[in-house]
Amino acid sequence: MGSKATVLSAAAFSALALAGAFMSSYPIYLMSLAMINIVSALGLNLLTGNSGQISLCHSSFMAVGAYVASMLTLHFGLPFWIAVPLAAIVAAALGALLGFPASRLKGIYLALATLGFLQIVQIVIEETAGVTGGVRGLKVPVPSLGGGAKLDFYPLYLVVLGVCAFAIWTTRNLLHSRVGRELNAVRTSPHAAQALGVSVARVKLVAFALSAGYAGVAGGLLAVVVGFIDPNEFGVSAALRQITFVVVGGMGSVAGSVIGATVLSALPELLRPVKEYSDVIYTLILLGFLIFLPHGLVTLWRTWFARRAVPPAAASTAA
Amino acid sequence: MTLTLLAQLGIAGVSVGSIYALVALAIVIPFKASGVLNFSQGEVVTLGAYAALILTQLGWPYPVVLIGVVLLGAIGGVLMERILIRPIVAAPEFTLVIATFAIGLLIKGAISLKFGDSPASIDGPFGSDPIVAIGLRFNPTSLWILACTAAVTLAVIAFFRYAKLGKAMRAVSVNPEAARLMGIKVTTVYRWSWAISTAIGTLAGLLVAPLVGVNPEIGQLILRGLLAAVIGGFTSIGGAIVGGLAVGLIETYAGVFVGSAFKNLVPFLLLMLLLSFRPQGLFGAADAKRV
Repeated sequence: MGSKATVLSAAAFSALALAGAFMSSYPIYLMSLAMINIVSALGLNLLTGNSGQISLCHSSFMAVGAYVASMLTLHFGLPFWIAVPLAAIVAAALGALLGFPASRLKGIYLALATLGFLQIVQIVIEETAGVTGGVRGLKVPVPSLGGGAKLDFYPLYLVVLGVCAFAIWTTRNLLHSRVGRELNAVRTSPHAAQALGVSVARVKLVAFALSAGYAGVAGGLLAVVVGFIDPNEFGVSAALRQITFVVVGGMGSVAGSVIGATVLSALPELLRPVKEYSDVIYTLILLGFLIFLPHGLVTLWRTWFARRAVPPAAASTAA
Repeated sequence: MTLTLLAQLGIAGVSVGSIYALVALAIVIPFKASGVLNFSQGEVVTLGAYAALILTQLGWPYPVVLIGVVLLGAIGGVLMERILIRPIVAAPEFTLVIATFAIGLLIKGAISLKFGDSPASIDGPFGSDPIVAIGLRFNPTSLWILACTAAVTLAVIAFFRYAKLGKAMRAVSVNPEAARLMGIKVTTVYRWSWAISTAIGTLAGLLVAPLVGVNPEIGQLILRGLLAAVIGGFTSIGGAIVGGLAVGLIETYAGVFVGSAFKNLVPFLLLMLLLSFRPQGLFGAADAKRV
């Protein structure tokens, strides 16, 4: 992406920030949710799309972020701008911990380990109801800046927007750095990567920690924006929803994460009249993409651009 | 803690474990044949329970319901393999894992929409008055489950040892290319391995329904079944059975010794430990690979 794209995205984010000032609370709320989903999808895409590791527990790291951030504000009175980063660090540390067994596993065994981790997080939240509220959920206090100042609706939206923009920018840079090339190398050929001096186990560990960190940020923001969390929000169907974002958008692509999370966050609103079917529709979409368009919407985008880039005359001679 | 109580717990553990064993068996058979781990197997069990409920409400006698549920399971498995699995069987493992997982959520969602989340009760074939013998109490439904599990296990072992199709399945699981060259129809093998697996799954649903009530959450059983399969090494029939019984016993005793709050944690911690240190299971051979 050249400077043109940078200017375009900067313009897009400024427009979004400005638009928020004229919108009522509900659309702002929806857009915040979509941007939180983007942050979380970026993290999962690094792990699954780039380094090629299956994870059925991305939602658990969101849960860790959401609960740790809420506990820190509730029990220790920390302002949210300290609580959310701390929660992300805890999530990343847990991601690294899971990475120890996970980096030596692959395929179904990795799926099983991440599924087991998801269950453990769920059970711990449910059984420590004294601090987490258990299955009844937890009311999250209005975010404070410290010193009694509360954060209003629109400033909170700006914070989420800023975090989302920062996450996109960091991820792009990360993928163009040595780390990004290592992640892709581990997916495309772990043996070749190892032979060229890339420590496959370390890269996988880093991938797990990184993606958990993104999920932790997303979870912390989700708790603040929604104001209420319960373990059901972070269960198996949530994990599969995250995977759907990445598969529908496009695996291993930043644009894919953004497109997938945006399109699918708008979906529940479009499906409001048939709300109870939303889980079923989500899974049907996922299955459809897995079978018919496994590389996601970005491939449509790319083919369309490729066609436009080739002048008609050249195209006909090539054919 | 008296010996009687320990024995009583043991009985409870073995009877719940035999359900896990059936689920594990249903997971292992198609995995062995086609290398596809069916993450929607739990929902197959749920479907079996609902099929049993519907057929019982039609007024059919228990033996007919039993046969009906198993047949429906087999037919469902053939359809599932043909429609959903065969198009993606050559896809990367990620696709297979996520797709079967999604199919499970789809079935569960459809069941919740159709029948609601409240459980319906269904009677076991022999009532629920416990049989007292040698100072211990036996739940007749649990004894029936145990008997069925034993029968299914023996049938499956005999099938793989003596039946032509069973031998063909073993051949395909070792080397599909060579099996095909020897004139074995690999697609037939895949189809029947799914049919057998889903028939066992729906049977497990029918058996467990009187104990837990018919509800959309029965599919959670798959987690215990998967743990049992991991303990058993994933490709061994006997391992799956032993693994299932072990999970049942561990869970039951953990409920007493660890306390009910964290008893559910024990199987998953065990799963993580096994995957960390012995992913090939206690019975499987290490999957040595030359790079």
